[in-house]
Amino acid sequence: MRRLAVNLSQLGYSVLRFDYRGTGDSAGDLTGVTADDWVEDVEYAIQEAVDMAAVPKVALIGLRLGALVAAKAAKNNNQVSRLLMWDPIVDGSSYLHDIRSTVLEAQNQGSRSRILEPDGTLHFNGFSMPVPFQETLSNLRLNDLATTVSVPIAQIVSHETEAFTSLSYQLSERTDFYYELAPAPHDWNYVDHVGGILWPKPVIDAIATYFDRRGVNA
Amino acid sequence: MREQVVMVGDDLPLVGVLTEPDPEKMSAPDTAVILLNSGVIHRVGSCRLSVTLGRNLSERAGLATFRFDFSGIGDSEARRGTLTAAQAAVEEVQEVMDYLNQWKQFDRFILYGLCSGAFASYRTALSDERVIGTVQLDGYCYQTWKSYMLHYAPRVLSPARWYQFVLRKLGLIKLRKGAEVSGIEERYFEVPNFAGYPPRQEVKQGLRELNDRGLSMLYVFFGNEYYKYQKQFEDCFKPVVFGDNLTVIHYPHATHILSEPEDRKAVVESISDWAQDLIKRTQRPFRNGSETGYRVSLCASNETPD
Repeated sequence: MRRLAVNLSQLGYSVLRFDYRGTGDSAGDLTGVTADDWVEDVEYAIQEAVDMAAVPKVALIGLRLGALVAAKAAKNNNQVSRLLMWDPIVDGSSYLHDIRSTVLEAQNQGSRSRILEPDGTLHFNGFSMPVPFQETLSNLRLNDLATTVSVPIAQIVSHETEAFTSLSYQLSERTDFYYELAPAPHDWNYVDHVGGILWPKPVIDAIATYFDRRGVNA
Repeated sequence: MREQVVMVGDDLPLVGVLTEPDPEKMSAPDTAVILLNSGVIHRVGSCRLSVTLGRNLSERAGLATFRFDFSGIGDSEARRGTLTAAQAAVEEVQEVMDYLNQWKQFDRFILYGLCSGAFASYRTALSDERVIGTVQLDGYCYQTWKSYMLHYAPRVLSPARWYQFVLRKLGLIKLRKGAEVSGIEERYFEVPNFAGYPPRQEVKQGLRELNDRGLSMLYVFFGNEYYKYQKQFEDCFKPVVFGDNLTVIHYPHATHILSEPEDRKAVVESISDWAQDLIKRTQRPFRNGSETGYRVSLCASNETPD
């Protein structure tokens, strides 16, 4: 994300990256945090970007779960100019189901990662998701949210899935919708024990090109 | 507790976060803990370990901590030069120590690192006497005859292992490596060689030097393939007698990146306890400046006060 931010800044954009509450360098942990709190964090970030960069509007770029959260934040926010979704989580409920399945599969292969009892917090590969977050996330669906977002939407994906296709099909009726497939690594659950990292350059380039074509004032 | 983003250096600065305890909780105003990157993982650490540890050390042990990104990692821009990553790491830690000394008057440092971060903390301690302690998670250690036995004996006695061995020799199964396991093409996969091992004798000599200097060392080893029993570290570096300078903790079920929450909690608490103990043993008398927060050390001695 830093590389993307640097590339966009070289195109003339001011870029704000931030960690949701309970993650990264931001305060607290995830105890009691909900997906709605993260939507609120995006709204704070929008206001901060507007204030710091002295711009009337900001574009939102969300990766995976960030795209789903950003779509919710973009709804009815008149300070958002456009929404770009990178490999978006399309359905919160399905996402949770997939995580639980992955945890169970990993357990069968000897992993100690598990769904912690009795409170139901999900733990996998060092990441955790408390019950309130799961409950609020389950209510988020891009197919519902995206149709209510009034600003231009872009969907840039590193691979094809049924969910991506369904979403792009639904949005394709809009004249302000942009879709691009930029094949790149996308195994976001991959954890490397020697510090290897993904480097999805094709998608980063595609996003920069998308913004470059539209210009800073678009 | 208070946190602030800090940029160290004017040109291509190193980006970090300083965490300071509340003034009334500060246990050692002359000492800071510096948390180093592991490989290419940014300053937040694997599974947010560096953030959790930095805040815990501040809240629980009353110590200021600084987590930052080496150049070319996380938020720190790459710097050009002829140094290897390992050499540059030592220089950059020293640059951070200089900065924290000038800005906050810290003149004693505890270095923390996991894997390549542990190696960097060891090398920096060798180069800089301001380092009074190192916390090394899966730091340098080598095989001993006992660890070989513990590693290979179960394999030799396992019929399943022999069956796999025969199948491999017959070419009926193949060990998967690299991209075959990750499914990620090499061109999209970046693994810098931060974690090379020097010869054992070299590390033994270095540890002897650090031990003679009285450096306090906490080593924590996880359930990797090479660390097999509690005293492997001491056996590995005999005849160095570490005495009270060395604490070794072995969590045989923990993963290298501490992916499980209870493992992280245990390790963080162990490090905090160790750091508190180190500060108690080495504390120098001090007083706080009244208005500006400027601190004046009254004693330059490294001796334990009575």
